[in-house]
Amino acid sequence: MTVAERVREQTRARYPDEEGYVERDGVRVFWESYGEGKPTVMLLPTWSIVHSRVWKLQIPYLARRCRVVTFDPRGNGKSDRPLEASAYDEHELAADALTVLDATETERAVLVSLSLGAHRALLLAARHPNRVAGAVFICPSVPLALRPGDQFSYDFEEPLGAYHGWAKVNRHYWLVDFRGFLEFFFSQMFTEPHSTKQIEDCVGWGLETTPEVLIATAYAAQVKKDQARALSSQIACPVLVLQGTEDAIEGSARGMALAQATGGRLVLLEGSGHGPHARDPARVNLLIREFVESLS
Amino acid sequence: MIVTEQAREQTRARYPDEEGYVEREGVRIFWERYGEGERTITFLPTWNIIHSRCWKAQVPYLARHFRVVTFDPRGNGKSSRPETGYALEDYHRDALSVLDAAGVQRTVVVGFSDGTYPAITLAALAPELVEGVVLIGAEAESENPEEFWHRRDGSEGWDKFNAVYWLEHYEEFLGWFFAQVSSEPHSTKQIEDSVGWGLDTTPEILVANEREFERRITLLLARVRCPVLAIHGLEDTVVEPEHGISLARELGAPIVLLEGSGHGPQMRDPVKVNGLLQEFVESGPSPEPRVRTWTRAASRCRRALYVSSPIGLGHARRDVAIAKELRKLHPDLQIDWLAQHPVTAVLEAEGERIHPASAELANESGHIESESAEHDLHVFQAWRRMDEILVANFMLFHDVVRDDPYDLWIGDEAWEVDYYLHENPELKSAAYVWLTDFVGWLPMADGGEREAFLTADYNAEMIEHIARFPRVRDQAIFVGNPEDVVSEPFGPELPRIRDWTEQHYDFAGYVTGFEPVADRERLRAELGYSPGEQVCIVTVGGSGVGGQLLRRVIDAYPPAKELVPELRMIVVAGPRIDPATLPEEDGLEVRSYVHDLYRHLAACDLAVVQGGLTTAMELTANGRPFLYFPLRHHFEQNFHVRHRLERYGAGRRMDFDEATPDVIALAIAEEIGREVDYLPVETDGAARAAARIAELL
Repeated sequence: MTVAERVREQTRARYPDEEGYVERDGVRVFWESYGEGKPTVMLLPTWSIVHSRVWKLQIPYLARRCRVVTFDPRGNGKSDRPLEASAYDEHELAADALTVLDATETERAVLVSLSLGAHRALLLAARHPNRVAGAVFICPSVPLALRPGDQFSYDFEEPLGAYHGWAKVNRHYWLVDFRGFLEFFFSQMFTEPHSTKQIEDCVGWGLETTPEVLIATAYAAQVKKDQARALSSQIACPVLVLQGTEDAIEGSARGMALAQATGGRLVLLEGSGHGPHARDPARVNLLIREFVESLS
Repeated sequence: MIVTEQAREQTRARYPDEEGYVEREGVRIFWERYGEGERTITFLPTWNIIHSRCWKAQVPYLARHFRVVTFDPRGNGKSSRPETGYALEDYHRDALSVLDAAGVQRTVVVGFSDGTYPAITLAALAPELVEGVVLIGAEAESENPEEFWHRRDGSEGWDKFNAVYWLEHYEEFLGWFFAQVSSEPHSTKQIEDSVGWGLDTTPEILVANEREFERRITLLLARVRCPVLAIHGLEDTVVEPEHGISLARELGAPIVLLEGSGHGPQMRDPVKVNGLLQEFVESGPSPEPRVRTWTRAASRCRRALYVSSPIGLGHARRDVAIAKELRKLHPDLQIDWLAQHPVTAVLEAEGERIHPASAELANESGHIESESAEHDLHVFQAWRRMDEILVANFMLFHDVVRDDPYDLWIGDEAWEVDYYLHENPELKSAAYVWLTDFVGWLPMADGGEREAFLTADYNAEMIEHIARFPRVRDQAIFVGNPEDVVSEPFGPELPRIRDWTEQHYDFAGYVTGFEPVADRERLRAELGYSPGEQVCIVTVGGSGVGGQLLRRVIDAYPPAKELVPELRMIVVAGPRIDPATLPEEDGLEVRSYVHDLYRHLAACDLAVVQGGLTTAMELTANGRPFLYFPLRHHFEQNFHVRHRLERYGAGRRMDFDEATPDVIALAIAEEIGREVDYLPVETDGAARAAARIAELL
């Protein structure tokens, strides 16, 4: 396995006004808070393959008006890296979010989630409606529809003869060529031309964790289809789904299904892949801002 | 009295989906309903001098979004014209009856002028019905003076606001009054329309209305709990804006002040007012700021926003020079600068207007410094690693121009503006000029294949941007001449940089930002340099990257002084390097920031500089010998600037890695005071650039 030296973090446009750790069952989770405005926007972590810097193009803009709280998922960034699968149970991630809300004295927040972060957002919005003023889902990875291709469809457990394409989602491959997996995965996340910087950034964040951590996350309990449907129908707060039509990881059917199941608004980003917040930050920032303002 | 035949109503943009009459105590009130939206907006009648057609510019648009209800006031339109029954309470009850008949359970009500009285009574007394109020040209109380009822001697101006005059000169009154209402220039149609609606009723009705209509709602204000938005023209002479402002304050409501607007902005500036109404009904009033101002297009002065790249001080001087030339062509032009340190230091010294949002810009020069090592700046990677800062600064730019309309945006290497406008071309709302002094990212040799791939990819994206959205850059100005552009290709299978640049840019020639020195001896005397001295100025410009070079040259001072006994060396640390961090040498002068450094450079016998374009070109323009040290990995200094200087035959390029203090001392001795033979540098670059920019104003 290649462990690249961690690259020095590039200069931020804005640094947190407050930061700290919360601890649950011995796992420490690192959070940051920016700005003073209202309401509070919580930028949720997605899969532990990246950490809170994935929101770097949103934080400075949103923090000009709102208070922005974000945290590193357990397994990456400045948070701890437990190796038991149970530590990455969706309920644990949702509980981390609540603990961070408490630690930052946030009564209610607008949640913004990306991809797998949708699971946490669903749990929070449905089960803690008093804490959630609204929810933005970006390219949600919710099992309300099928993925369009062979994403995550190969055997994860058994060694394979060759590791082409999505066959790279394999524990043995991860242990041998973690970077190779990251480079493949993020090339699928950013299918727009000229996305070198976005891909490099994500690969760099991926290299801040280990294949062992990601293997643990692969066995963690996620929100299943029936539960996702039930949670979606329970959500009372306003919902906005942003979905790239060229999302090569989740397809676009899942975002559309989530919008329908929650009764939320759907904005299709034509030509966008799985990370429009990073590849089309100006538009996504304006959409989030508009949604947040419509709640007041 | 003249009674004109009622003109045939002009074709409407939209006809009602439902209409009808309600009758109260024998008085019939005509109402209309348009559209099917979930929410309802009700346009109340105003003074019955006009009727519901005064909302004609609002109804079709708002009916696309909402259910719209309008009705004619008692005394005009298709409603009855009773002899009495014009109390505020009558209007209030008419509104309740109409809303009931139209099946409205909840509505936003809009009142204009006298219509603001029933708007308040409804909000205060029927809170279950009214979910929001918009007040246009409103006041809380007003009373006719006693003279109103009696014949006046004169009939000038507001003397016409008189019952006797109305009865005797109704049409003259209407023409005069509606000229006061629509006081904006070029309002003939609004005035004609209003006069026509006035002629749909009679002065007797208006007089009857004045007998009963009591304009006083002050006591009800405290009972208004729903959201309220006030809109008021700052040129309103019928109800002066102070009334609207104090009413809004009492209601705790935000107010939008329309600069240049009269009493009826919904007629004269329907696009703006429709947008405000739509936004209010859709999402309620934005609570902050309490007072917003929008200026009518015709009332705006010409304004430009100049975004000046903060990386290095060079751009500041040339941008100020271009701005000065631009003002010569458009003396009324107001230029605001969105810029940061160290550019702002120059702008402040020049008395330029710095936009307050500049303080919120994320720091670019600090980032560039943090990316640099010893005389080393991988500027392409440093720029890539600035993506977060660039987005943040673009979003700030977008906020600035969204709140504050400019005629023109000028970006001198404002990468964030140029890139994200091409990525979001729908956000372009002004003419836009792009200036640069180099085109094309080029790979450094030791960056290998990856860097060659990346620079080509960035170039390809830029070329695609320009090809797909040529409308984004209204002018692209190259600060220099076609021969200053390198001839290499942008990358494999991409065009040659010079060919492409010639097709897509205008060339202003170089912009030094100063007049060449005519009398160098006099300047030397002025600056305190004596004829016997050999003056050597050492400067690294405005960035903090040059500390290592300064130290190296300071180390070269003792051997250089031995070779050149008349040597006087002055080291300029610049605004971002603390002179206290530099070593001291006997006889060596170290200064911090020097305003008008270019004059010292013009006067010197030798300069020692980095490979930055601006300083090197200043020296070239003044025919001074100089040593320049391109920063390692700085593709712009190593390729673009070097190419240009070689064309001018200017300067002696030094390699920092090989330049020991002794090597530098020797080069100083060889070059100092040498007569040079450079190509002349044009002096009209700023004027030429400004002339192209001025075409857009």
